[in-house]
Amino acid sequence: MSEQRVTFTREQIAAYAEASGDHNPIHLDDEFARSVGLPSVIAHGMLQMGIAATVAAEAAGGPGRLRRMSVRFAGMVVPGDTVTFTAMPAGDGRIEIKAVNQRGEPVLTKAVAEVAP
Amino acid sequence: MVAVAGKTYPAVRFDIEQERVAEFARAIGADPEDGVPPTFAAAYALEATAPQLFGDEDAAIDFGKLLHAEQEFEWHRHPRAGETVTSVARVASDASRRGMRFVTLETDTSDADGALVCRSRALFVVRS
Repeated sequence: MSEQRVTFTREQIAAYAEASGDHNPIHLDDEFARSVGLPSVIAHGMLQMGIAATVAAEAAGGPGRLRRMSVRFAGMVVPGDTVTFTAMPAGDGRIEIKAVNQRGEPVLTKAVAEVAP
Repeated sequence: MVAVAGKTYPAVRFDIEQERVAEFARAIGADPEDGVPPTFAAAYALEATAPQLFGDEDAAIDFGKLLHAEQEFEWHRHPRAGETVTSVARVASDASRRGMRFVTLETDTSDADGALVCRSRALFVVRS
């Protein structure tokens, strides 16, 4: 099993926005985020998926072995949240992924990867 | 709002630049030495094409009420830094249920030889 515990920061979210090209202000501007009913800026779901894929790649024996990955974005992540990502081989080339915050709530569900045979 | 199921958007070229790949790898806790992270498809497939859907007047998506609900990538191979790929997006489905709209955007990314590199499926939910 591979595991990584990540405490999200505004700097990491901003770096991901820059690298991914997703500059939606809900990830970058607290005032804007609050104006649309969010508690503060939130992490990109795709940042969560990216970290989950990094952990899945460790369990798979390298990123080049990933053939498919899918997730459902189930909960928002704000700066200061700590999410534990785990990836566990489940047989037949499947890797089951979990991402749970410090309150025990899943932030990704139906998260699974498939590796090359 | 017009349902836009079946609509295909113009192809978008994307240069996979080493520097941006390394920045992306660091942001997701991956080793930049391990090559292009699989989910860099977020940049070359999803971010390359999703703005076409969001900016489509026929689709009339209210960006402020948009949630990215699910994401799937299928890789046929992982591209290398320095490659130029081409992404073409298509609205695979667009349906309203219980006052919410569900739009699936499917993006096929191909390499310079036209071979499929990655298929991305994004499910967006627009709250009413």
